[in-house]
Amino acid sequence: MKIIILGAGQVGASTAEVLSGEANDITLIDIDSNALRQLQDRLDIRTVTGNAAYPSVLSRAGAEDADLLLAVTNSDEINMVACTIAATIFDTPTKMARIRAPEYLTCQEIFDNDAFPVDVLISPEQILTNHIMRLVEYPSAIQVLDFAGGRIQLAGVRADHDGPMVGCPLSELRDHVPNVDARVAAIYRSEKVISPEADTIIKLEDEVFFVAARENINDVMREMRKVDRLVNRVMLAGGGNIGFGLATNLEAKGYSVKVIERDPACAESVADRLNDTVVLLGDAADEELLRQENIDGMDVFCAVTNNDEANILSAMLAKRLGARRVMALINRAVYVALFEHSELDVVISPRLATVGSILAHIRRGDIVAVHSLKHGSAEAIEAIAHGDRNSSRVVGRGVRDLPLPAGTGIGAILRNDEVLIAHKDTVIESEDHIILFVVDKKYIPEVERLFQVDVMYL
Amino acid sequence: MPGEIELADLLTVDRIDTGCQLSSKKRLMERITSLLLQGRARLDRKTVLQTLIERERLGSTGIGKGVALPHGRINGLDDVIGAVVVLANPLDYGAVDDESVRLAFGLLVPAQANEQHLRILAHLARLFDDEMIRNKVISANDNQEVFDLLTTWTA
Repeated sequence: MKIIILGAGQVGASTAEVLSGEANDITLIDIDSNALRQLQDRLDIRTVTGNAAYPSVLSRAGAEDADLLLAVTNSDEINMVACTIAATIFDTPTKMARIRAPEYLTCQEIFDNDAFPVDVLISPEQILTNHIMRLVEYPSAIQVLDFAGGRIQLAGVRADHDGPMVGCPLSELRDHVPNVDARVAAIYRSEKVISPEADTIIKLEDEVFFVAARENINDVMREMRKVDRLVNRVMLAGGGNIGFGLATNLEAKGYSVKVIERDPACAESVADRLNDTVVLLGDAADEELLRQENIDGMDVFCAVTNNDEANILSAMLAKRLGARRVMALINRAVYVALFEHSELDVVISPRLATVGSILAHIRRGDIVAVHSLKHGSAEAIEAIAHGDRNSSRVVGRGVRDLPLPAGTGIGAILRNDEVLIAHKDTVIESEDHIILFVVDKKYIPEVERLFQVDVMYL
Repeated sequence: MPGEIELADLLTVDRIDTGCQLSSKKRLMERITSLLLQGRARLDRKTVLQTLIERERLGSTGIGKGVALPHGRINGLDDVIGAVVVLANPLDYGAVDDESVRLAFGLLVPAQANEQHLRILAHLARLFDDEMIRNKVISANDNQEVFDLLTTWTA
């Protein structure tokens, strides 16, 4: 596919990196030629320097031939105008734009009525808010991802000595939770992935990723480690877009929320717009303030300022002072890897979360959702099967007969609104939503091909 | 015979373009769309283009050996329309065999696809599997010649 990416920031660069490794033709536009040069040294991409919304710049980037435009500059307005120009002048088939400002996001009709012809809106703040909300709801998980509109979830949990399944082979999971069906998709042991078999024994500290219906997630999680008591008190560091969005969601769900914000104007504005949340003016790395506000009574401390270092420090401090579970938002990839196995319980990478939601629209075949895991090395995918035995390579075949690449497994299926956990003899039907776990992203093109229909599909 | 496929029923000379210089798959889709719309004022260009592109996303219609059969179902259409583009330059199409495409037969069918429509697709696949006709079409001198070649071919 020919893809033009506008903006060489975190999301633009990461997406370019993933896609350029997958036989796509990528052109990256940015106003900053230095940023482009650095990326071009590393990646097989074309670059164009200039204002990403100008028709002449888009034309130089090959907009006449592009299948897809991904507008992820740091300006909502440039992204919206670029999509409009692409639609009007270049007839670009698919236009995606990152839009941050709630002012625009809550005004859906401007995008529906072709005023700004954006096919897919990407809101990193919304994606992150949902991501963090799920981690608050499942206090034992390291990651929880939604599929099939939230009916099916993929959860990652670190096995602990108080988990009844620890030391047991996977085949016994059924006996441990008799009324629950679940499939273990992958196990990471000392950062190496193990393909789960019936006789695989779960060991202490294993990261176990499994797929189950939403209502069964906790039952399975409890087998891997003692499930922490439910969360009630949450403290957030940072009252920016993400902090405010989180606080709004949390208070609506009845959590007791405190927000620490260091900028007086921002603190005041956030306080005005929230109902039950306590907004504190101050530094989240101020030990005195944290103690005063009963940090040791907090179930979750989540640092979501726009400063990686501040997030890491305040979350570490909160942990030392007794917060039960701490999370930090970290943008820089090196920090994410560095702090994943630290005192921080959860490291949240906005880059990975956002790139996944972009990939869902770029992958070939009818892909509904893509989530990047393990620093982007693995992916969990929701694909829809179409056609019949002749026009599809999956429909009408049992799971055991599918030519899946190595390390790729089918976890669950949503069929007519019913959740089915995949077994070897489950036969795929047309229109099934299939949730797959791909441990090595190099197999993604193979998985895409598998779900593509034959030319005879009408 | 009900199963008999007459390409002359769905193709016209003015919906054929030979020696086309195009720089991308997207341009090819646009060109095919324009041809399919010839004499069809009621069809919406955007809808047709979008339909072809969305069908491509589900799986490439590049059947291999340099041939593509882009197609789609269109609401409100009550007959089948075909169009042909013969390219002057091979084009990257993401075909099943990764080979560049030299010729494309575009096809629009009514929303209610039936057995007959599948037979048309199968007929085209068989036709273009014939190396002789493939080469003749690619090296044809004008639109009329392509039309004659395609409409008189029999298995």
